[in-house]
Parts: sequence; C-alpha cells; structure tokens
Amino acid sequence: MSQLAQLQDDFQAYLLGTESSSVFSGSIIDDAKVGAARRLGIYYDAYRLRLIETLTNAFPKLFVLLGDDLFDSTARSYIDAYPSPYRNLRWFGDALAEHLLETIPQHPIASELADFEWNLALAFDAEDAPVLQLSDLAAIPAEDWAELSFAFQPSIKTLHMRWNTVQFWKALEAEESPPAPEQHSTFETWLIWRQDMTPRFRSLEAMEEIALNAAIKGASFGDICETLGHQLEKVQDLEYEAEEEATVKAAQYLATWLESGMIAGIQA
Amino acid sequence: MRVARPLCFYFMVQPMAENKLTNLGFGLGLRTQHYHSILETSPNIDWFEVISENYMVRGGKPLHFLDRIRAEYPMVMHGVSLSIGSSTALDKDYLRDLRLLADRIQPAWISDHLCWTGVHGQNIHDLLPLPYTEETASHVAERVSQVQDALGRRILLENVSSYASYIDSTMSEWEFISLLCEKTDCLLLLDVNNIYVSSYNHNFDPKEFINGVPAHRVQQIHLAGHHNHGDYIIDTHDAPVIDPVWDLYGYALARLGPVSTMIERDDHIPELEELVVELDRARNIAARAFHPGSFKTGLAA
Repeated sequence: MSQLAQLQDDFQAYLLGTESSSVFSGSIIDDAKVGAARRLGIYYDAYRLRLIETLTNAFPKLFVLLGDDLFDSTARSYIDAYPSPYRNLRWFGDALAEHLLETIPQHPIASELADFEWNLALAFDAEDAPVLQLSDLAAIPAEDWAELSFAFQPSIKTLHMRWNTVQFWKALEAEESPPAPEQHSTFETWLIWRQDMTPRFRSLEAMEEIALNAAIKGASFGDICETLGHQLEKVQDLEYEAEEEATVKAAQYLATWLESGMIAGIQA
Repeated sequence: MRVARPLCFYFMVQPMAENKLTNLGFGLGLRTQHYHSILETSPNIDWFEVISENYMVRGGKPLHFLDRIRAEYPMVMHGVSLSIGSSTALDKDYLRDLRLLADRIQPAWISDHLCWTGVHGQNIHDLLPLPYTEETASHVAERVSQVQDALGRRILLENVSSYASYIDSTMSEWEFISLLCEKTDCLLLLDVNNIYVSSYNHNFDPKEFINGVPAHRVQQIHLAGHHNHGDYIIDTHDAPVIDPVWDLYGYALARLGPVSTMIERDDHIPELEELVVELDRARNIAARAFHPGSFKTGLAA
C-alpha cells in the first residue's frame, strides 16, 4: 500500500470512529500552538456536526418531535451506522426512517414522520415532466376514451401511515401544538406529488388508491372503470348500478388528477 | 526533498495572461435564498458560481431556477466531491453526472478542491488536506488528466483551508501546487481566505504562498469570511471578509493581474444587496490596483 493510501485509510478510520486517534495522531505534526490531538479533533467534530446539521435541515419536524438531545444521539448513531456513500449531502438520511425503527421502536411515529419528510423532499426535486391539461383531452373523441391510458408525474408516491403522523406534521407546519401520537385502527393512505414546483400531499380513500395504482401501472380508462366496478360490486348488489357508479367515480378521479397536475400525458 | 526556489521564480516571470480562460469580473455564489431577488432586480453581479452537487438532481425548483438565472448570467461550476487526491478510484458516475450538468449550463469553467473527501466509496463531506509529497503530486496529476478527459476541458483546483499538517509532507503547500502545475495543465482557483486561514493555523507567511504559486495558472479567486477561535481559525463562510484578507487580496492582484473574483457565503446568508456591497469592495480594490485614475473619479473597475 502506498504512503498516501495508508494515510488516507487511517485518517478515514479515525473520522468514522472505527480506529482511535492513537493510530493516526502520529501522522500529524504536533505543536505547542494547537497540538495534534486538537487539530485532529477539529476534523472529527466537523464531520459529525456537518452531518447532524444536514439531518436537522432534512428532517425539521422530526427534530421537533425528538427534541435536541434525542435527535442528536439518534443522528450520531445514524452517522456511525450509515456512513455516507453519496457525492451530494442531499441524499444523506435516506435510511433514517429505518434506523429509527431499530433504535427507538418505542416511538413508531418518529419513523413514519422521517419517512414522510424524506418523501416530501424526494418530490421536491423529482424528475420534471409535462403537465397534461384538460384542454388536451377535449380533442379526444368520446369513443376513444375507454382505450386511453396515462403517464403520471415521476414525483407521485403513496405512503401508508399507521399513526397520526401527517396531522402532527401539519400542526408543526402551522406552528400549533401537535396532537399526541395516536395509532389508527388500520392505516391511512397519503398521496405525495409535486405541483407548481411545490411538494403537495393529501389523503387517499381506498377506492381512489385502487384506481390510481391501476392507472399508474398503465390501465386504460375502461380498465379502471372495470376495476372500480368489481370493487363496488363487493359492497352493492346491483351490477348495473355498480358499473355506472364506477364510471362516474373514475371520471371524478381523473378530473382531480388532471386539476392537481398529476398526469404528465396520454400514453399511446 | 524540497522543490528548488528557482522553479517558483520561473513561474513568476511567465506572462500573466498565458493559458487563461475569460475574465468574468466579479461574481457571487448562487444561493437559493437569492433566486427571486436575482431575477427581479438584475443586481450588479457579473457572474455566479454554483455548487455543482446542489444541481445534480433530477428536476424541480433547483434546476428551474438554475436555468432561468443561467439565461441571464455567466456561470461557473464549483464542486465539493471530486476527491481528486483520493488513493482509491475516481467515481465515474459522478464524473458522468458532472458532465451532464456542464452540458446543460455550459459553464465558463469547472472547479473543485485540491484535497480528498473520502476513500473506498465513502464520503466524509469535508475537504481533507493532502500530504505534500512527490508521490501525491504525481498521483493527483494523473487523476487531473482522467478528469479533464472525462469533462472535455481543463479544470481549476482550489487550495483548501487546513487545520492539520502531515509529518509525511516534504514541501510547502505552494511548492506542492507549483509541482502539480509542472506535471499537469490544470488551472488554479486561489482562495485568498483559505491562504489566510491556513497561514494562521500553520504559522506561515500568506504572502509567501501567493508569491509561490504559478501566477499564469490562476483563473479565479475566492474570498470569504471565517471564525477565529483564538489559537486557530475555522473556515466557516458565515461572515463578511475581514480586512487582513482584503489586504491580501490586493496583494494577490498586484502579483497576478486582473482575476475573476467571487465571494462565498454559505451560512448566515444576508440579503443579496449586502453581498453586492461587499462585492463592490473587491471591485474597488481591483480598480485601485489596475486603474488608479478611474478609481479616484468613483468608477468601479
């Protein structure tokens, strides 16, 4: 191993905390002014402080939930467990939700909140795509509608939340005191997407989630109506009414998706 | 073995403008807080430097504003993760993404730091100093060629602020930079604040540093503020440039001739107007150095 490679391996091991300073401090010029140990300490501390600051900026609501001390210790254990392979600090924190589940399982809302904040950030700089307008659809003859399928914004993501995580997020955003953590009986589905360059989110009822998942996978408008029809049949006796209601619902969903800029185009 | 003094002298007598790219004038670092005021007020800023990594994303606001501001101003790209001095392989994916961003915004040039940021695929996200040896200079020179081939252009390398120095080093930082410039054709980004910070931390004369680098390779100058802890200084970019650094800037210009200059502010970022006023100080120092007559009549540069 070259002299340079050895020096860098030792320095990095010291910074990551896998080797004590005694292994590496002999490589640093000692002096009366600052001293080798403090000089190395500047780098050791800066490494952690920079990454803690990155996590604080990426997870501002989680920071409030955990408070200074718990956030700091969680961030430090995360930094040790998940050293950054990223060229861009923006991606540091991608496994924090997972880490929280392992390290503070007694606060499950923390992991959900981290997941929610991370996904809002993903929507913020997700890939750009055109936005399909209602007028683009006007030109399509009625008989072609059943065959239409759509391309969606790359920013779209759905999250299943078992806790009142989003209500907590909203309260903090509005600078109100947050509700106590509360578990849902099953889960809520939340939709995240970007519109007008801003990440947005709203809850999704089960039927719309089924329609959206089908549409994102490339189902045609006719297929979506059929899928919704089958769902409605499960709760209604009359097949004819279910079909009609399914078509109305599918059209309503489509209109909502269009208005909120979720659709990028018509697929051939 | 130390590099012989006559080598530095050889570079000092080279024609100042040789090999250089365009002089862009006086710029600022592009920061998100200023996007709207830049577009709405068209401030007196000649060009912007962008942190490359901040725009190596897929879409959304960052690239939207980057494109809009690029349409109005010249830009240069400044990276923090190239890790030109690492002993492990260059990150080809990073170089590809850097090239894609350069294709998008057509920067006047691309710079990064003469340092290492991590090995074995990990990133410390810090600008770690290199040991100043023949081995390191040859290693970095070889990698500069690889990077320049990948990017299809010459790059600028910047001297970093440092808080520790290695027993292995056999020469000064400026001798190392000179040696590197002998081995490769890269250009230099001279960070005058970093020279000041490192001279304070390691007890050397900052003017000796400025005198010691090959003037004809200096394409750009950085200025910034820092935090003085008493027995050492941390390069924080969170405060205005201090007077001794301005003095050193004037000294550097006297030696280098006109050089594209910008101010970096990365924390405690004030309103754009305040930075424009600070930038005017750089203009005035340059005006005094190169056009003493016009400075007296109040004309900036």
